[in-house]
Amino acid sequence: MPESFALVRLLNALLMGVEAKAFQSIGVAPAEAIQKAIKVNQALGLELLVAAGLIAFFLLVRLTLSADRPNPAQQIAEMIHETCGGLADQIIGHGYEQFQAWVTCIFLFVLINNLLGLIPGIEAPTVSPWVPLGLAVPTFLFYNYQGIRAQGLIGYLKHFCGPIWWMAWLLLPIEIVSHLARILSLTIRLYANMFASDMVTLGFFSLIPVGVPAIFLGLHVFVSLIQAFVFMLLTMIYLSLAVSKEH
Amino acid sequence: MTSKIRRRALPLRANDGRKCEGASTVSFNHPLAAKFQGSRRNMRNLQYVFMTLAVLCFALPAFADGGSTAISLVPIGAGIGMALAAGLCGLGQGKATASACEALARNPGARGGLMIFLVLGLALIESLTLFTLVIILIKVK
Repeated sequence: MPESFALVRLLNALLMGVEAKAFQSIGVAPAEAIQKAIKVNQALGLELLVAAGLIAFFLLVRLTLSADRPNPAQQIAEMIHETCGGLADQIIGHGYEQFQAWVTCIFLFVLINNLLGLIPGIEAPTVSPWVPLGLAVPTFLFYNYQGIRAQGLIGYLKHFCGPIWWMAWLLLPIEIVSHLARILSLTIRLYANMFASDMVTLGFFSLIPVGVPAIFLGLHVFVSLIQAFVFMLLTMIYLSLAVSKEH
Repeated sequence: MTSKIRRRALPLRANDGRKCEGASTVSFNHPLAAKFQGSRRNMRNLQYVFMTLAVLCFALPAFADGGSTAISLVPIGAGIGMALAAGLCGLGQGKATASACEALARNPGARGGLMIFLVLGLALIESLTLFTLVIILIKVK
């Protein structure tokens, strides 16, 4: 299906040649390589655009930092930094600065991706189920990595056994399953909220084309904000659980 | 007792000619009028029995073996499942919101922390309903 966005066509033209060459270097025949090269679809193109936009914003703020005369971009960045930092301090407590970057980026990325769905003609990237999965799996790996870094591998694995040592045989599978269920719940929460919001807007649009769907677009804005906030909050909670030392 | 024959003075026609409720179309002292007036409760019970049997007959095509005229139960299941999930989610979120409002009324200074817990709790409860929605989306073709 030919993609309608010029950006996506451009990305496909650039990247498919590179991917086909990579496949050929492994030994796949040229005709098959073009078929196997993963086509960039609309969600991925928009995600890359949002990532590029965020990096441009961060660069702009960093290069024009000024204590005497902060420009508006710096003020916005300070506002975001303070909100996320304050929340992280409340939840994670001491030593939250090393996680603040990840958590802020997750919040901004999810928020802007959700809000892209408001533009008519563009489908939000988070409506496809792979995008929230692509956010949840790195978050899972990140908090496990931070937990292992803070407490050592054995110390971190002792977390899974619970407080009483002779109940560990029962608690270990339960904890492992509940940790894996976190990926599932993060993914489905974000995906289903966005998808249902789209469906509801479309449904009411097909019933009453004028005026009433605007209420559901407002609902979409509200839900996008809440879901981005909750994703960030849950990431912080998982980090605090992984990194906390029980004295 | 309604099973006994009661001879009440029912007006058969109102002043403007409308038929009054419960009046029989035959004259008051006709033998059939006596029988049906007295056994109104039995007749009503019999009506209920026949209505139930008729509704059961509506369900017969669902047991037909795989024909194209079979009523599919998938939309009914989807509707009932989603309704249950949404209703129970509403109950749970109502309880959470009520507790948050009460806590805020007792201690207005705890607003920041309370908002965090409220939003987190509401989102976690809502995600359970969304799991049901996702299963419906997967299963309903």
